[in-house]
Amino acid sequence: MKKSIYFLLFASVLYTSCKVDDQFEGPSLVDLYGDFSLVTGLDISNRNVNFSAGETTTFTAAFSKNVNWKVEVKGLQSGAVKRFEGFSNSIDVSNATWSGTTTDLPMFRAEDCAVQLSIENVADTLRDTLTVVGSKVYQGFVAADFENGWNSGWNTYVQSGANMSFAVQTNSNAAQGGRYYEMAGAVSWDWLIGLVNMPGSAYGSTYYPLTSNPSNLYFNTMLYKPAGIDNGLVLFQIKEDDNGDGMYSTGSEDMYSIQVSLTANGWSKISQRYDNIPTLVNGAASGPIGNGLHEPNKIIEVSVLFLANPTSGYSKTWMDYMIFTEGSALEP
Amino acid sequence: MKNKLHIVFGIVALVASQLVSAQEKDLRKVVFTGAARGLYYGDKIGQEEADSITIPRMNSGHTLVDLGMNIRPNRNTEIQGMVRVRNDYGRFWGSGVSFDIRQLYIKGVAGGVVRYQLGDINYKLSPYTLSNTQQEIITQGPVVFQQQTRLMNYDNFYAADSSWRQQGAAAEFGLQFAKFVKELQFHTVGTRVRTTDFGSINDRLFAGYNMNLVQSNFLEVGVNHVTLFDIEGTSHNLSTFHNPVTTGTLMVKRDIAHWKMKLNVETGTSRTYYEKFEGSPETKGKIFDAKLLGVDASKGLTVEAGWKYVSSDFRSPGAQTKRVNYNYQPSSFGRITNDQVVRNLTAFDLMRESNAYNRQLSSNLMLIQPKYDNITPYGTATPNRQGLTVNAKYVYPAQLFDVVATQLLLHETRGEGTLLPRKFRRSEVKATGHLNKIFGNKEKLFDVTLRFRNDRTSREAEENVRAVDLSTQIFSVGVEYEFWENWDLMLGLQQIKFNGFDYTAVRNNFSEIYNFKEYQTDGNEFMKALGVRYRFSDKSSLSVNLSNFKNNDAFDTTQKYNIRQFMLLYQMNF
Repeated sequence: MKKSIYFLLFASVLYTSCKVDDQFEGPSLVDLYGDFSLVTGLDISNRNVNFSAGETTTFTAAFSKNVNWKVEVKGLQSGAVKRFEGFSNSIDVSNATWSGTTTDLPMFRAEDCAVQLSIENVADTLRDTLTVVGSKVYQGFVAADFENGWNSGWNTYVQSGANMSFAVQTNSNAAQGGRYYEMAGAVSWDWLIGLVNMPGSAYGSTYYPLTSNPSNLYFNTMLYKPAGIDNGLVLFQIKEDDNGDGMYSTGSEDMYSIQVSLTANGWSKISQRYDNIPTLVNGAASGPIGNGLHEPNKIIEVSVLFLANPTSGYSKTWMDYMIFTEGSALEP
Repeated sequence: MKNKLHIVFGIVALVASQLVSAQEKDLRKVVFTGAARGLYYGDKIGQEEADSITIPRMNSGHTLVDLGMNIRPNRNTEIQGMVRVRNDYGRFWGSGVSFDIRQLYIKGVAGGVVRYQLGDINYKLSPYTLSNTQQEIITQGPVVFQQQTRLMNYDNFYAADSSWRQQGAAAEFGLQFAKFVKELQFHTVGTRVRTTDFGSINDRLFAGYNMNLVQSNFLEVGVNHVTLFDIEGTSHNLSTFHNPVTTGTLMVKRDIAHWKMKLNVETGTSRTYYEKFEGSPETKGKIFDAKLLGVDASKGLTVEAGWKYVSSDFRSPGAQTKRVNYNYQPSSFGRITNDQVVRNLTAFDLMRESNAYNRQLSSNLMLIQPKYDNITPYGTATPNRQGLTVNAKYVYPAQLFDVVATQLLLHETRGEGTLLPRKFRRSEVKATGHLNKIFGNKEKLFDVTLRFRNDRTSREAEENVRAVDLSTQIFSVGVEYEFWENWDLMLGLQQIKFNGFDYTAVRNNFSEIYNFKEYQTDGNEFMKALGVRYRFSDKSSLSVNLSNFKNNDAFDTTQKYNIRQFMLLYQMNF
């Protein structure tokens, strides 16, 4: 018995003393102090990728050690940018597969793209090109992308100010496709510069064709702030027909609002889960006007109001690609 | 039941006897104790680099008295208070004079059962739970250097038994049994490590206990548990730090032929975590340490061999806190050369600068100095070490000389920055010859000490990673010779050579490694000293020392200098 105890004791000591963990502590010394070399250069798995058909393309490269790397794809027409970044010794399907989404708006369209791989502390940049044959198609209800011009079901109210412009524009600056909606002008007596009403009837029915589950629905759109114009406010009002009488009754039925103060130049994505959209009165959160239930299947109209402080002068913004998505916010 | 088991409550003899015997010896109610000293340094620096800015001579010193009053209001209570009055040389009439409370405690025996102490307490548990590891290099040097080191240890409350000076409370009691078990001992301690600032820093306490079951003179089993923790609600900071450590101990004694054998085993775990601190890590570590000691008194031979395993995540502030604070900047010639660069902390400064030392437990692994100790920088409980330890001591008959040898063959439990573990090898020999047994008067002092230590850290090169090869050699010779009645001549030489390369870990506030620095060194530190000491009695002496310290660093010419030191020291204990 004693011998067994001694043997077990000795064996356990020997075992623990000889064992070395199969992980190391701290960062890799190879990564910190090893020499860098390119094991395999930049490659692109699909150089003519059709995102609208569900295709993807993968960028690949391999290095002698873990490095901070960055792959940047830039649309040569749109100026859209998709960026992949990481710290690893290889770029592969796990960290650099592109499905057509965008990091810096606008969104990619069918166009040629420049690809470049840059590595921290390495002077050389690797370059290549690819072609987007078809841009990514997003699932959801597109309320407005302006690609087919003005929807005759919409109506608008524009103040009689100076330099007023509420119109669909066609040029390469659109966030998506080739068209966007411009709202601009100077109104010295009122915050409201102009508005657009988008009733459900414009899409062929009284209500927007949306799910009844507000926690699974996202409102998304894109707004553009020109450089040097900092006074614009955009207010989205989403009106519900709570009592089902086929019309919205001001002051007795719910109206949920998103107020956006434009701060960053260029295109920005606005996304909000529907059940998180508040009721606003003069820009401040307030109690519900109607039954207080978020009922997206009862949305009867969406209004877009462009506002600015009347003392602040001319203001301008662009709007594009208003879409309701299910499951997650739009990832352009 | 009464016949079978008799439980006798009483004071455990080994913990209480000291107090009882002291009281029996001296029944006076008030006793004055303390120490006094006068210390003067005259330093002169010489540099290889041009320096017209640094003042080359520096004088400093002080006189101080530690005046203690030991009051025994009754046989079971003892009160100790000690005041330190210090005056730096060159200052009078209150300027430079300081009064400090150096020691304050109450201790006694409650109900004839529990021995307690409140206030300042020196406490020690096992090497993996609470133990104050000695500082690097200088504690083993020649006596002529040790004079200064001992003063510094005294100032910092570093006791020879590796206990930590803490403020709090401790209690001990024991149960004695008639059969099967001889004794059950309980020790418990609670101290305050950090005080709140009522803002973002919580009160931090250290608490622990030890329970030791003495089955017989041949078998003991024990449990140690300590924890360093913050108390929530003592500041506005809701996050709290926790570091419990639990170990079990086993001691078995057995005589085999001439050998008295003793097996000591300690094994346990640690856990380090924060509460209400999002993103903070939680680490769990473990240790295993087994040592077999054999003593053959007839041959004067003592051998101890052991295996140890301390995982890389083992954290035990009570056992891993370092004495030396390597962030400290020397007060003597703190900046040198025309560029006024910081003078690095050296063994010379560690020998004499009290303020380079730390007195409180640290929740983090403190900074280390690889050239001095890369193998056991945090003492026995240094994390990420496993392997063989061997110690041997031989005492020549009639105590003419003794030799102590140490061999450590360790490697990491987990590689740092790579899967390959570093290997550590330490070989050390210390010999002390009592030459008075051969030459001259046997009653007179004539000791010669020789010491050599060779440390090596190594790791093979890998693709893209340099090989690690860092070595340190320490060689010292010390002589104490009583050339006249109570007049001693002291001589000491010590050389520390270091050379090589390693990657040193840079740790964050959670003691996690987040970076490595390349550490390349090639230099040496050489100290020599000659001194004369007159011993008035065993408790008081006067010494005059002349020493020279030379520092060389092949990679940093600003650190090439020498410091000559004159020291006058009077010290007395009463």
